Amino acid sequence: MPGAEAPGASASVCPSRLTVGGGDFAGRAGQRSDQHRPLTGALDARGQHSRGTDRPMGKDNKEPTAGEQALIRELAQLLVETGLTEIEIEKAGLKVRVARNIMMSAAVPAAPMGYAPAAAAPAAAPVTPLPTTPDDAANHPGAVKSPMVGTAYRAAEPGAAPFIEVGTRVSQGQTLLIIEAMKTMNHIPAPKAGTITQILFENGQPVEFGEPLVIIE
Amino acid sequence: MFDKILIANRGEIALRIQRACKELGIATVAVHSTADADAMHVRLADESVCIGPPPASESYLNIPRLLAACEITGADAIHPGYGFLSENARFAEILEEHQITFIGPTSEHIRIMGDKIEAKETAKRLGIPVVPGSDGAVTTEEQAAKIAKEMGYPVLIKAAAGGGGRGMKVARSADELATALGTARSEAKAAFGDDSVYIEKYLQKPRHIEIQVFGDGKGNAIHLGERDCSLQRRHQKVFEESPSPALNAEARKKIGETVAAAMRKLKYRGAGTVEFLYEDGQFYFIEMNTRLQVEHPVTEMITGLDLVIEQIRIASGAPLTLKQEDVTFSGHAIECRINAENPKTFRPSPGKITYWHPPGGLGVRVDSGAYQGYRIPPYYDSLIGKLIVHGKNRNECLMRLKRCLSEFVIDGIETTIPLHAELVRHPDIANGLYDIHWLEKYLAGQG
Repeated sequence: MPGAEAPGASASVCPSRLTVGGGDFAGRAGQRSDQHRPLTGALDARGQHSRGTDRPMGKDNKEPTAGEQALIRELAQLLVETGLTEIEIEKAGLKVRVARNIMMSAAVPAAPMGYAPAAAAPAAAPVTPLPTTPDDAANHPGAVKSPMVGTAYRAAEPGAAPFIEVGTRVSQGQTLLIIEAMKTMNHIPAPKAGTITQILFENGQPVEFGEPLVIIE
Repeated sequence: MFDKILIANRGEIALRIQRACKELGIATVAVHSTADADAMHVRLADESVCIGPPPASESYLNIPRLLAACEITGADAIHPGYGFLSENARFAEILEEHQITFIGPTSEHIRIMGDKIEAKETAKRLGIPVVPGSDGAVTTEEQAAKIAKEMGYPVLIKAAAGGGGRGMKVARSADELATALGTARSEAKAAFGDDSVYIEKYLQKPRHIEIQVFGDGKGNAIHLGERDCSLQRRHQKVFEESPSPALNAEARKKIGETVAAAMRKLKYRGAGTVEFLYEDGQFYFIEMNTRLQVEHPVTEMITGLDLVIEQIRIASGAPLTLKQEDVTFSGHAIECRINAENPKTFRPSPGKITYWHPPGGLGVRVDSGAYQGYRIPPYYDSLIGKLIVHGKNRNECLMRLKRCLSEFVIDGIETTIPLHAELVRHPDIANGLYDIHWLEKYLAGQG
């Protein structure tokens, strides 16, 4: 299927994230976790995502075919007639979105009228400042990195209030999150006092050693 | 068959395991320390989990972190490679309790063969010839002196908890015995936490010949021939070959059968290597390694069997691929261990590989996780790759090896390739006339 790789995807420390939904402690007793870490998939020996081997030779994101252009014109016409601002269709390996007057959003490439190259659209365009890329986060002086391997939870138990939110002021030693491994809950303390500026994980997300979890400034 | 295997190791063997899993269509998880984030097998694995900082105790040896990595990835089996936790009975036991398959033998067999005194007694019981020595641990100096006098000097004092060439002291005469005993004990205590020692006759010019075995855990076992690993420096193997220049077909068959029969009696599961000292036509058991060995490719080249795939199959409950009568040995194979070390001083040489060009051609195999631009971390052992060549006979093999060593380029670090190039030209090596002391004598002479 034609499509661009999510920009900035890096397989080294922090893969692109999936939302895995609310963690559920009770359901996991005695079971291997089915909330697996998101896969970036294997890299090739160069350390890059290899081209899809099932991609037919020569079929890159080039100019739309005549048939595709006709489809786009039709969709554009439909927009005008119906007063809609955006139409997106997907069929037979081709995804087309036609839009007008959309708000500029940092996370979504602006789609002018006409053929928009199909991109892996993120689940939602965030209004708040974008999370830093994984490499930026790891190097941020206020980054709190995971000291262990396990599953990270925002709150002490399902339904309870999260320990922190963006903007929370924390003191040194205050619990930021819990990482569960092998049925033991490990409170992760703030290494210094400050304000939470970014939370870099989802509730119930598997994390690895060194993964940046939270930024305190 | 397993859905997902976690590779609990690093370097060239982790890549080896990754390759076998890929060929079986099994998903892989590469766990790694922060120092190994750029490792080749980490790139190629389907998933990777960083499990700790560089020190092995906080990463590759850290059982809770390995288990947590299994938990978050859903791996249903772990391949421990060699070294690290591959012969840790407790690790195997913990995995058994958590219903994660440990690709290897039972924790019980790991434990038996891990204690060198018990291993020797077990070997004797199973009909494997052993080195004459004390029956069990030696506790007093008087006891040691009596045994040594009966056997005749020189004698070797060995740590029960040792192995892999570590924890051994020679006493050449009655005068040296007390000191050797004391030193052996205190070193054993420091290195292994256990000062139990036993005594064996010290063989003067033996060869190190080991037999590769495979068992299905249900009483079936086969042998896959021998490897001659006599060329060692500080008890670390440097150069291995099969068949051994010292054995003929009959001797091979006899020792192979003896070992296979012993493994059948033991109901051994998985890959194993029974190591012997061989002198004057006699085999003497020294230890059994209940894991895959570094030099396993030598056996793969002459038998055509993929030993890692076989390990995985056996661990998943499949029967042995071959019956003994189906095992054939074809040609000759030699492996050279390439270390990131100065070839004369053996000073470790970590750093960035600026140019990497391995040899190729018929019968040439390079097992290595290194690549151009790879930075060898300073935290782990210095093995960066293995060059294995196969030929129709030993002469062709040696010629091929000479050619390969001259083609192989590794720039940016120092390696032991020049040493191998010297060895392969030495008449003693060319004629197969060497024993376990040969290499150290040669290196001392070069000084």
